[in-house]
Amino acid sequence: MKPEDYAELKKGGMMRQREAGFFSVRLHVVGGRLSTDQVRAIQVAAECYGRGEVHLTARQGVEIPYVRAAYLSTIKDFLAPSGVGVGVCGPTVRTVTACQGCRVCPSGVIDAPELAEAVDREFYGKSAPHKFKVGISGCANNCLKAEENDIGIKGWVEPRWTRGPCSVCGICETVCPSKAVTVSAERGTVTVDPAGCIGCGDCIESCPSGAMEVGERGYRLYAGGKFGRIPFLGRRILGILRTPEEVVAAIRKVLEFYRAEGRQRERFGDTLHRTGFEALESHAAERTGEAT
Amino acid sequence: MTPTLDITKDVCPMTFVKVKMALSKIPAGGKLAVLLAEGALKNVISSLKQEGHRVAEVHRKDASYLLVVERDGRVA
Repeated sequence: MKPEDYAELKKGGMMRQREAGFFSVRLHVVGGRLSTDQVRAIQVAAECYGRGEVHLTARQGVEIPYVRAAYLSTIKDFLAPSGVGVGVCGPTVRTVTACQGCRVCPSGVIDAPELAEAVDREFYGKSAPHKFKVGISGCANNCLKAEENDIGIKGWVEPRWTRGPCSVCGICETVCPSKAVTVSAERGTVTVDPAGCIGCGDCIESCPSGAMEVGERGYRLYAGGKFGRIPFLGRRILGILRTPEEVVAAIRKVLEFYRAEGRQRERFGDTLHRTGFEALESHAAERTGEAT
Repeated sequence: MTPTLDITKDVCPMTFVKVKMALSKIPAGGKLAVLLAEGALKNVISSLKQEGHRVAEVHRKDASYLLVVERDGRVA
């Protein structure tokens, strides 16, 4: 093995295989999106340096298995011009997962890929006490399983009702999955309980008259989730954040907290169970200006 | 008389496909009544709105809903 190959190994992303001398090369993929040019480059790399196969990982990543140690720096150089980098492993911020959000999905309320790029740019590969995963769901349907991540994000839409066009048909109340909408036929009013609303937008989508409209869109954060041997669902933290910048700022605060309070090789959820979620919230609220 | 389409026994995506097919036989500005189950309300109404049609009336019928849909007035 050449010295440069040892150097590559130390940077991470080259996963040692069971079979001696082979590595599965983890690639840097953001929100599961690759251009067809990148897919072609990965295909050629897998054919030339691996065994002509790729593995789609559990978190929207791609690995090229069966790469010999001697090819590690070569495959990296081969993929670089197409914008495909080598991924990370170890105690770092890992692959940011995301759905297609409102760009593609009719249910999407936020641009999940854009937010994934912003979070990735800021935090990908940065060190933490243990692995740290961020997952972004474009809406309350939560296809990307926000609560399974160290930080999970969900797109959120607040309904706004105006009396004028409303025919008081009651469909909004019928379709609300959390029973947060109450229609009073006598008074001709519709009220939405903000505490019960899960921000899914079903009442807006279903409103025949347009009386229920998009109020504000935002982002909901969940902290401390994980899967693995002892799964734990993350809990909602902070209020509704309004911009990608606020989300990035909140994650920066969360990571600051984790680095300060987390023990080595302790997952974030375990740290939070020791310290309490309140300690994280008061730390993070300083930056985002949100209290609850 | 307004024709009625019953999709109470259908599931997505047939609910919307059937509505779309039935609407294609209605002249622009004409009306179609659609009888549907609660579970189909969101997808059917949001698709109708997106395609430029209008839900003119909503009636509750036991566990189902009857929507009177006015076809997009523009010539397709």
